[in-house]
Amino acid sequence: MTDVTLTINGEERSASVPPETSLLRLLRDEFFLTGSKLGCDVGDCGACTVIVDGLPVNACLMLAGQVDGRDVVTIEGLATLEDLHPIQKAFEEFASLQCGFCGPGVIISAKGLLDRNPDPTKEEIKDALSGNLCRCTGYTKMIEAVQDAARILRGEKEAA
Amino acid sequence: MKKRGKGMGCMWYPIGFTVMANPSAATVKVNEDGTATLITGTVETGQGSLTVLGQIAAEELGISTDDVHVVSADTDATPMDTGAIASRTTYVTGNAIQLAAEKAKNILFDVAAPMLGVRPDQLEAKDRRIQVKGFPQSCLPIGEVAAHAQNGAGTPALGSASYNPPTVAMDPETGQGKPFSTYVYATQIAEVEVDEETGEVEVLRIAAAHDCGTAINPMLVEGQIQGGISMGVGMAIQEEMLFDDEGRQINPNLTNYIMPTSLDMPDLEVDIVENFDPTGPFGAKGVGEPTAVATSAAICNAIYDAVGARIYNLPATAEKVLAAIKSKDHSDRQKYLPAG
Amino acid sequence: MTDDVKVADKTDSLTDLKETDEDLRLPSVVEPAHFPVETIDTEARHQTPAVGQRATRPDGRLHGLGQTKYIDDITFPNMLFAKMKRAGISSALIKSVDTSEAEAMPGVAAVLTGREIPVNSYGPSYQDQPVLADERVFHAGDPVAAVAAVTEQIAEEACERIKVEYEPLEPVYDPVEAMKDEIRVHPPHSNIYATKRIKKGDLEKGFAEADRIFEGVYSTQMIEHVPLEPHASIAQWDPNGRVTLWSSLGRITLGRADIARTLDMPINKIRIVGTIVGGNFGGKNEITTEPALALLSRKTGRPVKMVYTREEEFIASTTRHPFIMEYKTGVTNDGMITARKVRLVLDGGAYCSWSETTLGKACILSAGPYNIENLLAEAYCMYTNKTMTGAMRGFGAPQVCFAYESQMDEIAHKLGIDPLELRMKNAFHEGSASPTGQVLQSVVVKDSLEKAAERFGWKEDGQ
Repeated sequence: MTDVTLTINGEERSASVPPETSLLRLLRDEFFLTGSKLGCDVGDCGACTVIVDGLPVNACLMLAGQVDGRDVVTIEGLATLEDLHPIQKAFEEFASLQCGFCGPGVIISAKGLLDRNPDPTKEEIKDALSGNLCRCTGYTKMIEAVQDAARILRGEKEAA
Repeated sequence: MKKRGKGMGCMWYPIGFTVMANPSAATVKVNEDGTATLITGTVETGQGSLTVLGQIAAEELGISTDDVHVVSADTDATPMDTGAIASRTTYVTGNAIQLAAEKAKNILFDVAAPMLGVRPDQLEAKDRRIQVKGFPQSCLPIGEVAAHAQNGAGTPALGSASYNPPTVAMDPETGQGKPFSTYVYATQIAEVEVDEETGEVEVLRIAAAHDCGTAINPMLVEGQIQGGISMGVGMAIQEEMLFDDEGRQINPNLTNYIMPTSLDMPDLEVDIVENFDPTGPFGAKGVGEPTAVATSAAICNAIYDAVGARIYNLPATAEKVLAAIKSKDHSDRQKYLPAG
Repeated sequence: MTDDVKVADKTDSLTDLKETDEDLRLPSVVEPAHFPVETIDTEARHQTPAVGQRATRPDGRLHGLGQTKYIDDITFPNMLFAKMKRAGISSALIKSVDTSEAEAMPGVAAVLTGREIPVNSYGPSYQDQPVLADERVFHAGDPVAAVAAVTEQIAEEACERIKVEYEPLEPVYDPVEAMKDEIRVHPPHSNIYATKRIKKGDLEKGFAEADRIFEGVYSTQMIEHVPLEPHASIAQWDPNGRVTLWSSLGRITLGRADIARTLDMPINKIRIVGTIVGGNFGGKNEITTEPALALLSRKTGRPVKMVYTREEEFIASTTRHPFIMEYKTGVTNDGMITARKVRLVLDGGAYCSWSETTLGKACILSAGPYNIENLLAEAYCMYTNKTMTGAMRGFGAPQVCFAYESQMDEIAHKLGIDPLELRMKNAFHEGSASPTGQVLQSVVVKDSLEKAAERFGWKEDGQ
């Protein structure tokens, strides 16, 4: 068994798991954080995207042992008790998600982008979302929502 | 050299199949505060159908989308529904819901009529009120009527109904008949850029004009069109399940089965063509499937316009487009059918 | 004491606990996330009239928060995980299935084979598909046994230890080859399992009236739906002999009847709860693992879950039919269509599924949204030893549209008529008769052509 202690959404968590356990399985099976989805388990679809030390990664491709001592943000860590994250809000307002299965991964990828680049071009947004497959939406309303959320985060537009 | 071209695809698509029974049933309950609960056996599979169905119930009762809560998809509790297939939900289930909501509404009218001193058929439900037609100042809040219906008159406002598109059987020899209730129409026009050296195709933009009858929720209709086009792009230039000589798929994974990512999507300009179908709920038809129909033709016709190479076999991969450019003699038309 | 000291004391004691007493460590099931209790009320949801509003989706909010519970997010106490052994051979007789080694594995709760299914066949049109193949394998993705175990990994390892002895049969993969019926997929039945014919007017007369005849053969590929959420179900058999199934099925009422048939049970003893489906597109229109999971749950008395892997999603779920389409169209020099003859051959894969519907729609729609007085459309669907084809967004319409619109484009270019104009000339109008003689209403083909052309800038130079 591998002992892991890491920070998830600002709180320190520990678990003891078999060494082959992926970060995704750790989040879903040990901590019941089921927002990150298993869509392919080999890093093709991006439904399991989480932020590790500030960068979006496919949680299915990382071993639990590799995140020992590191900082992980999942979809569950974006909203507060009082409010949605501006990206989540924009995704709702624009109806950017249909079946929703890819949604947590897409929103996390968008957050990863906006954390680093608060004023991305459309091409940069497309680039940032290119690892997240979506079969429902054609990505159009997602891109619009990320642009809108960026404006709100930059203080150029008031949140609804 | 990269060359640009434009091409169009035009299509029609049936809504409400009638070759076999295609029913939906629904129940609408108006609560004693004027909000409502809709019970349907359909399943939300991502399209936003529950939101749209709630809007249909709300419209019939004269209340808002948020005033309706939708309960769905439990065979122990929800009524029969043919299911989330064949772009039928808005049309067929929507019609059942409108009928069910009308029954509930008629109970409210019966209760409100003596309160307002008119006949029930002189009433309408609008803006969360039961009001006298032509005299909107003579009205009662829908919640007051609903509460009185339940607690005073003892006739809680609820209605159940079903709908099945009318059937005309098809002649087995000629196929003549009425297999579908109604149809929607659409045109998509694509602009592509083709690399003559590699055969690679980039879809730059697509303009799409779709008919869905009344758009119950235009935002969700746009989402369907955009999503359908992405499937069409995949069909046109990327996706294909490939098999080995022993019938085993060689690309059963998303590494080798290529489908559109955000980078493959063209700019989309979507229009909803205004229309009203008298047989649909508030004039609505449907939109789910038709969105994926015309895209591959539009793209392949644009490829022809760009480089003069006609694609007869999908997908139009770079390899195939390059071969078509080089031969330009329809050499990919190898698959002829036996006569008969 | 100041506030600062209090805080420090508290922090110290917490740290002490963590370091010294393992038992007092916070349990990992404490949910750290904060979900908003406030709602952002988007205006459109509160407006009347409701129809026409850009109302947001309540489920959309849950999706964005990661709170939507798809099947794989649902867990029950003592739940088992199921896996299926796939044939890997496309056509064969099953001589024997030896599950003894798998059953003996620690952690394996039950193994199920096709012979234990009360009625081992299902399908929305024809019941030609086994829940678990028992006598014969029809395509490489067929399941031949199912295992329920305490972990997915053990279930998968157990599947590997199931020994199946096959007698290979000659397969047929090409639908044109299959049409000859020399090798039959489901003997004694013909491979041609569905046909459709639409006939209108006088074809010969129509072609005689034409100035030009255009002929072309078009074909399309097999496509997978790729819902991001793979097919998934959980079965829970209860001691009253009722079974509850949480399923990603998109048509629960009819699915329940199919399940009742396979389990030979009264319908009211089966409950299907349709969860929020992570993408359907026609691919989740029929039952898949539900009967097997129900029986595994009955065998073990425990809830059993199975989620398709991405590979299974490809090899064991339905796909879009590959089409071969022969088109012959007569037109006058000014671009009026006088006759059209269409012949469609569909690769129907190993089972019928929704092929009949696909074939019918494709055949009816195959002439396109155009007024054609003289028409013959014939369509044939063929069994092959490949993954089954079924319903997929458009039921055959995207395939025939590729053909008829490619040919329209060719006609326009050859006749020197603008493709938009050619379509405007022939398009349906209000009251047009469809290929089946149906009088059409609310027809807006021309409006859609004009609107798209205007938006695109079709008539502008340099486009």
